[in-house]
Amino acid sequence: MNTFKRHPGWAVTAAWGALNGILVGILALYHEDLLAVMLYVGAAVLVEIAALAVLVSSRRGPREHMRYRVPAGGGAAVPVAAAGLTIAALGFVYGFWLMSLAVPVLAVAAALAVHQGTWRRGPS
Amino acid sequence: MKTDPQAVTEPSPAPRPGGWLGVLTSTDHKRIGLLILGTSLVLLFLMGVLALLMRSQLAQPAEDVFSPQTYNQLFTIHGSGMIYLVMTPFALGLGVYLVPLQIGAPGIAMPRTTLLGYWLYVFGALTILSGFAAPQGAHADGWFSYPPMASSRYSPSVGSDLWVIGVFLAAVGMILIGWTVLWTVLRKRTRGMTMLRMPVFSWSMVATCLMVIGAFPALLAALVMLAVGRVDPSVFTSNVWNIGYQHIFWFYGHPVVYVMFFPYLAAVGEVLAVFSGRRYFAYRGTVLALLTFAALSMSVWGHHMFATGQAANNYYSLTSIALLMPAGIEYFALVGTIMGGRLVFTTPMLFALAFIPQFLIGGLTGIMVGTPVIDYHVTDSYFVVAHLHYVLFAGSAFGLFAAVYYWFPKATGVLLREGLGKLHFWLLVVGTNLTFLPMFGLGYLGMPRRVSSYFTADGFGLLNLLSSCGAAVLAAGMLVFLFNILESLRSRRPAGDDPWHGHTLEWATSSPPPEVNFTPEHPLPPITSNSPLLDLRKRRAAQVAEEQKGRA
Repeated sequence: MNTFKRHPGWAVTAAWGALNGILVGILALYHEDLLAVMLYVGAAVLVEIAALAVLVSSRRGPREHMRYRVPAGGGAAVPVAAAGLTIAALGFVYGFWLMSLAVPVLAVAAALAVHQGTWRRGPS
Repeated sequence: MKTDPQAVTEPSPAPRPGGWLGVLTSTDHKRIGLLILGTSLVLLFLMGVLALLMRSQLAQPAEDVFSPQTYNQLFTIHGSGMIYLVMTPFALGLGVYLVPLQIGAPGIAMPRTTLLGYWLYVFGALTILSGFAAPQGAHADGWFSYPPMASSRYSPSVGSDLWVIGVFLAAVGMILIGWTVLWTVLRKRTRGMTMLRMPVFSWSMVATCLMVIGAFPALLAALVMLAVGRVDPSVFTSNVWNIGYQHIFWFYGHPVVYVMFFPYLAAVGEVLAVFSGRRYFAYRGTVLALLTFAALSMSVWGHHMFATGQAANNYYSLTSIALLMPAGIEYFALVGTIMGGRLVFTTPMLFALAFIPQFLIGGLTGIMVGTPVIDYHVTDSYFVVAHLHYVLFAGSAFGLFAAVYYWFPKATGVLLREGLGKLHFWLLVVGTNLTFLPMFGLGYLGMPRRVSSYFTADGFGLLNLLSSCGAAVLAAGMLVFLFNILESLRSRRPAGDDPWHGHTLEWATSSPPPEVNFTPEHPLPPITSNSPLLDLRKRRAAQVAEEQKGRA
């Protein structure tokens, strides 16, 4: 009970996943196709994994934030990375020769991210 | 008032690009939010043009403005665009902009991931639209693209492949954005901002983002299935693949309706509270209703498959009708908020008030089509088109415009013109109901959806003409909206920090807010409830009254 109070973000996420778990159980009682039931189970599990991530973060970090890390750079790499991923995806339509374009673009994005990825920290 | 130390950050150690490059690569949540909102508004106009083209084709019987093949492309890209590229991104974009401000955080969690989500969305949109330049045109199988129709055997166009890739990229972008907004709400709240002090809008983003995380991966799975089927169409000779696709697609396809609804509903709630001068009514009940609604919405997908005869209809009908309970609580909360309030009829308030009855039509007809016996009769007819447009346009889009008029002064520091706003509102009310109300009649008379033409003898002519006239009124309203934005930005009327006497934290800072949201000049006020600024005003009023009493 104390964990619920101390980590309300986790509690909300986990409870929401559990509510979906109950709805899956009722779905199974209606003899729905196994594929549909497993689909719903998969989603509920995904939410519980998210809840677990929130719990781990809550336990490691403060309940209320006093120190923020605000990224000051690295944004320039992002559109380049997205362009690289898009070119790579278009390879499925126009042929995988497009990888020869996508890989250098993604390399440029990685270089930009490393070069500009500085951080600044708020005072405590 | 004491400045919270977390609101202050050190100056940037490295120079960052300025100008447009700076805007497009910024990790400031407000800039990313505005990029998402701006892009989705541009796409809203584009999708509106496609809708007008469709209505011109259907205005009269046996029209020949477009070929059936072109018409199929128009409704497919209109539907896909509105759902994948306009209403969903706008809803999440509001969250990116507003949630950190409302919970008192200086930024969003994982801002570069958020920015990546935006850029994947942009490239996804461009990929989908580039289908129009493909030799056989854009994708033409509807926004849900059922196989085997959407397999390469029956839809060999490269435009269909581009659609699959584009929707995949945009969906990945939305999942990334949803995750960062959720993490921000759950882990980045400022001191004193407990979960039950968060504004209703931020709570709506919790429910929305939980659905994004739970349901959107199913869309990716469905698209992978479709891609496999486009490589090897023979897989879609199997019932498991065809019905399996429908299950997986609709597992995403129904929750996304609520992703496109909750943030707008909550925006309407905040507008109603502020312009009624009252606290949000039944706050805790609404929070519980939002979460229950979201969970139930994950369980109703099979009602889109009643007519297949291969879904557990009783279960899906039960859960669909059970949605009435949380929806009712939310509705009563909206009505309870304005009951007894001193209403101020500004443009955002008008949009918020119109949302209530208009969405009710969409919601109640949803219960009708969630009942198998009625659904068998109206499935794939214009009744369904009318229902979904009452939900997504008469409902959600009115919430969207309430949000735009309400938060535009905060985001830009400029007030929109009230006169033009009200003209926009009335044109939209007339246009919306003239366009979509006749569609219920068309559906009842038996007009199937996705047909490019009909005969005079069918008797659909008058209602279609009315609907097309309504679309023209809608277009006029949207032009007024566009003119209002451009004119207001050209001849700027300063909004001030809090032009509406807002209740939530974003109104405590400057308009537009500074980079880290709250500064020593604009500190966070004490957070005592979900309406901290209202509390502050009441405390000040009480102090003034006390002082006057003392003097007397």
